[in-house]
Amino acid sequence: MSAVAGAPPIAPRMEAHPPHPSGPSQEQGMSQGRKVLYWFLGIWLGGIALFVILFGVTAHKAPAVASDVFSPTNEFKLDTWFKLGPVALNKGVLYLLITAGITIGVMFYISRHLQQRRPGRLQVAVETFYSFILGMSRENLNDDMERKYFPLIATIFVFILVSNLIGYIPLPIDSGETFRLLGANIPSFQIYAADTNVAFPLILSLGVFCLFTYEGVKHHGPIGYLKSLMPGGVKGPIVLLIFPIEILSNFLRLISLTVRLWANLLAGHMLIAFMGGELGVLVGLQLVSWFLLPAGVLIFIFEAVLIAGLQAFIFAILTAIYLGGAVESH
Amino acid sequence: MQFLHLFSAIHPLLGVAEPIIKQSQDAGRAIALGVGAGGGAAGAGAGIGAVFNASIQAKTRQPELRAEIERDQWLGFALTEATFFYGLVGGFIAFFL
Repeated sequence: MSAVAGAPPIAPRMEAHPPHPSGPSQEQGMSQGRKVLYWFLGIWLGGIALFVILFGVTAHKAPAVASDVFSPTNEFKLDTWFKLGPVALNKGVLYLLITAGITIGVMFYISRHLQQRRPGRLQVAVETFYSFILGMSRENLNDDMERKYFPLIATIFVFILVSNLIGYIPLPIDSGETFRLLGANIPSFQIYAADTNVAFPLILSLGVFCLFTYEGVKHHGPIGYLKSLMPGGVKGPIVLLIFPIEILSNFLRLISLTVRLWANLLAGHMLIAFMGGELGVLVGLQLVSWFLLPAGVLIFIFEAVLIAGLQAFIFAILTAIYLGGAVESH
Repeated sequence: MQFLHLFSAIHPLLGVAEPIIKQSQDAGRAIALGVGAGGGAAGAGAGIGAVFNASIQAKTRQPELRAEIERDQWLGFALTEATFFYGLVGGFIAFFL
């Protein structure tokens, strides 16, 4: 009913749109954007022509590629830099430390410098996150659980978000390939994320898995928890068939949580690397690198803008859903 | 152990077979990458299409629920889109490792 009542005002608004004062300026903006687009297209096509003239179209593989010494997976290898007791410091650990530092630092800074009158940009951003995650956990958890687990869910969200986002900033951490600057061997710059190592998402989701199993057992009791895994109303011999499937799907939550985050980041980083020039190196044709460069830039933007935030959101909301489902009787 | 000498009779054959085995391994890896990436992309494409289809229909029917529908839409998008990366990572593992 409300949709029908809301229909008439929409039509005049749409008619009123074309004579909007932004008409000419929008025209200007369109032509400006198109001009820039044509420039980029021209540079790209000119670059292709230049590469064909300079290097030709025959493949010249680099010696390391031809002899299989170079592999794209070397990018994700963890070289131990030094050991602190049982902890071996490598780039994955460094990324985790940076992530933890940024997360804790920003949150402490904001909570110490809360302003009611004129909140800064960072404070507004953090408050938006806060209310967003609060709404999310209120929807999926009951009051007790929400009070208990909202900090965990918010921490998981911010931690994964920061960890993903610093994965798109080039940092000098690639100790496999070094270059010399002023007599010192500097590790070359690399885009790496801690999530591309399966251990990081595995530990996070293992923690979540243990937590919701613990909550379920505490709420239902050990036998009651197993019963609560069954969908309601299943009776008779079919239980023997359904029960193993439900147990299996419970464990598959662990795997799907892990693999979703890991595969997204790993495949994203590999795609960025391939499109950003590595494919040309592997094929031995410089033309290919230049040809695929726009795709690399587009994938980079897609990953950094959408996927990084989305994966953090998914992990946090699935944590909330699983925790809520563990204490719910059905 | 005398019977092991029989193997020396087929040893030249093994020498011939070695490059063939290597090539067929390479071919298998390339097929794995192609099927993983291609099949993953096809499945995820259909799935993402279904998610956005349902979301658009729901939004046009119930515009006042727009915020909630869009949140669930992104949830569905991310869950579906991850399946493409499962296939791609499987292909990468087969191809490079």
